[in-house]
Amino acid sequence: MNRRTFISRLSLAATPALAATPREETHTLVHVFLRGGADTLNMFVPYADDRYHRLRPGLAIPAREAIRLNDHYALHPAMKPLEPLFKSGRLGVVQSVGVDNTSGSHFDCQDQMEHGDSMHGSPAGGGWLGRFLRQQGSTSALAAVAIGTALPESLRGAPAASVLERIGDIGFKNTQDADGIVKVLEGMYGGEPGLLGRRGIETLELFRRISAMPGDGGSPEHGAQYPRDSFGSGLREIARLIKAGLGLQVACIDLGGWDTHFFQGGTTGPQAERIQTLAEGLAALDTDLKDHRNRYTVMVATEFGRRIYENASLGTDHGRGFALMALGDRVKGGRVLGSWPIQAEEDLNLNTPGPGGLHAETDYRAVFAEVLHACFGPSVAMAKVFPQARLPAVGLM
Amino acid sequence: MKTSRRHFLATSALGLSSCDRLVPLVNRELFDEGIPSKLPPPPAGAEIDPDFHLLSRAAFGPWPGDVWRVKKMGREAWLEEQLHPERIRDTACDLRAERFESLYFAAGDAYEWRKPVLRDEITRHTLLRAVYSRRQLFEVMVEFWTDHLNIDLEKGDCIHLKPSDDRDVIRRHALGSFHDLVRASALSPAMLVYLDGRSNKVRRDSDDKPNENYARELMELHTMGVHGGYTQQDVLEAARCLSGWTFDRSRFWALNQGESFFRPDWHDDGEKRVLGQIIPAGGGARDLDRLVDIVCGHPSTAKHIATKLCKRFISMEPPAGAVDSVAAEFTRTRGDIRCMLRVLFGTPEFAESRGRLLKRPFKFMVSALRALAADAHADKALLEPLQRMGHGLFQYPTPDGYPDEELPWMGTLMWRWNFAIALAAGKQNGVRINLHDLRRQLHFTPSGWFPHLVGRAPTEAEEKSLKPQDEAGLVGLILASPAFQRC
Repeated sequence: MNRRTFISRLSLAATPALAATPREETHTLVHVFLRGGADTLNMFVPYADDRYHRLRPGLAIPAREAIRLNDHYALHPAMKPLEPLFKSGRLGVVQSVGVDNTSGSHFDCQDQMEHGDSMHGSPAGGGWLGRFLRQQGSTSALAAVAIGTALPESLRGAPAASVLERIGDIGFKNTQDADGIVKVLEGMYGGEPGLLGRRGIETLELFRRISAMPGDGGSPEHGAQYPRDSFGSGLREIARLIKAGLGLQVACIDLGGWDTHFFQGGTTGPQAERIQTLAEGLAALDTDLKDHRNRYTVMVATEFGRRIYENASLGTDHGRGFALMALGDRVKGGRVLGSWPIQAEEDLNLNTPGPGGLHAETDYRAVFAEVLHACFGPSVAMAKVFPQARLPAVGLM
Repeated sequence: MKTSRRHFLATSALGLSSCDRLVPLVNRELFDEGIPSKLPPPPAGAEIDPDFHLLSRAAFGPWPGDVWRVKKMGREAWLEEQLHPERIRDTACDLRAERFESLYFAAGDAYEWRKPVLRDEITRHTLLRAVYSRRQLFEVMVEFWTDHLNIDLEKGDCIHLKPSDDRDVIRRHALGSFHDLVRASALSPAMLVYLDGRSNKVRRDSDDKPNENYARELMELHTMGVHGGYTQQDVLEAARCLSGWTFDRSRFWALNQGESFFRPDWHDDGEKRVLGQIIPAGGGARDLDRLVDIVCGHPSTAKHIATKLCKRFISMEPPAGAVDSVAAEFTRTRGDIRCMLRVLFGTPEFAESRGRLLKRPFKFMVSALRALAADAHADKALLEPLQRMGHGLFQYPTPDGYPDEELPWMGTLMWRWNFAIALAAGKQNGVRINLHDLRRQLHFTPSGWFPHLVGRAPTEAEEKSLKPQDEAGLVGLILASPAFQRC
């Protein structure tokens, strides 16, 4: 026994309550879902391809304004906050990811993606994250959190999933005397033999740790500046949960407003504002969590990308493939993987399965599976999370 | 025809049943949903009262007055009454729960409904029935079979098909014959979709392999149990028997749209051998009946079903003696569910198991609402805590159903406590209670709350922990206590 283990055992022994519930230093997957079908072509801009500029005369991001990443791709100017993350290799992108659903329906495609299903083969039941958490036996109260007011489909079937807008939602509401309640429950659960008593005391300890977290203050660290909207505040709550080491394995958060059929805008405009919120939010999260970087991975997906050509109302219509991004220490970033399989110009609007645009070249499940594996290791029974799916390596993680 | 005043009021109330404010009033005044006056104080022995115990297991916990009703009529008579739900008038509950239109549609027609409506209605209906039905044992068994023959609303088309499964499979046979139940389930469009039976086809002169999914779960989960003594070959042979039974919502031209049907051209009509029994060639659609008879009649099935019943109603570690008795009754009666329950609740093991079962979140919530005679309409605000507690109805993803084990439910105690405290404080949205009036009607002092909710006197330690509190605080803490998590 070396000195360090000795001391840590000593301190654990001295504080029995804490010994029962050590900090759970689990990895956390932060799943950002862009609802509405994000036009990722204007986020990761294929600036070197003439066709992109030709087909989007009103919407293309001019090469001189885009932030160049390599010989093929550049970032939308509003993605600026993410540039250093890409350059330092912590932000990775896979082009042309998608579901095999060709309906072009938001609902169908989101549903399929959140359930981890395919048009071929039978659906597995529950959400893909729900299945993951259940096969992991993750029963901690805070193993899964969805920011918002409703449980996302992806978490259906999870043994425990908490939907909340603020951490303050946890704890005893409707009472003036939370401390008094904790004391009484402690007395009663302390006297209860078996699992119920043990888990009761652990839950109280969890509550105590949450209460001890700095209140609404709990200011972000390292000068992180979250966007002042619900997306920003949601990410901030996720960061607080990660820092507190409460066993958070999955956090889901949505950002809506991507269904840009009408007047999408280019370097500025409605979509640019969404992009800015997303980029500032993710960058702030990464800054805030600077001291915990090996403990989380962010994955950003949307139900489908949009067509490569603009429509008559200066917007874009539903397409297929999109660019998925992941952020974190375990990401082999600084690259845009996947090819750029746009449909040949002449059949842009004809006889192609589903809406035109990028092909869904990479099965989204292969990416999700790779991210899960990188986050939680070989203990994930992938055949239970994505039964019947072929999951070839993507190379993102 | 002479219309009595009560009947007249009842009919007019039915017409107004969508009026949430009126229903509780009508129910309280006319339909025994109210609380009997002049009750003795709740039994407060050191052990849980045996009548309270029966009501905690064969019902979702006592409604105020129930314990004394059982005392008056005797446990056996009460159980007998409950075993014949058709004889129990349930108007008060119907007023609350009969309003969900999507539950009355045939399977194929339910596609007209939007998914959120379907999810909302079947869930609310289930919760309302559990809280307010006087056919308590029936509702308890509906929950049991819903888990046993689990179907996840979120898989494929199941959300459109589960309402008819709930009605025509689970509720129709909940206290009937196990064979009939399994047969109905095998033919249920929801099950044909959930476990892929609908794509189980073996066309002549093709290399079609049967889809074994349902056949396997039929043996592993629904009847014989995982170590029930069947082989992989038996599963394959069973799948051959079932091939050709399918469901197709797009058969709009057919008379039986929305029903499952048999396609002879998809059926493997050769000879099969299941569990050592020969099913001769040429049986066609009748192969399914032969198969159901064989698997339901297998001794492993008696044992498996008896074990599951004892797990649910006696102890999560079911005592062997009780399992044997119930299994023997299964065999004797060819799976008569009523008879098995009569035996189960009569075993000494049942009587001895007081307070040892963990309430799963649904039962925790329902028993709390019942004990406080709460007025609720099971709207979104009330379903949300259930979701947080990890027990969203009809949402268990895999075919084994929500577990009868303790560990999976231990992560969400915080949400139980929050619900308990909010409920008692009158701050749970979607629920109205009045603790003070209730206690006055029941004629007990605040110290009567513990026995009222738990069925026994508090231990010295519990008493020490609990006081002093105001009334709402006290009730909230009792509902949050370990004692109320058990039954």
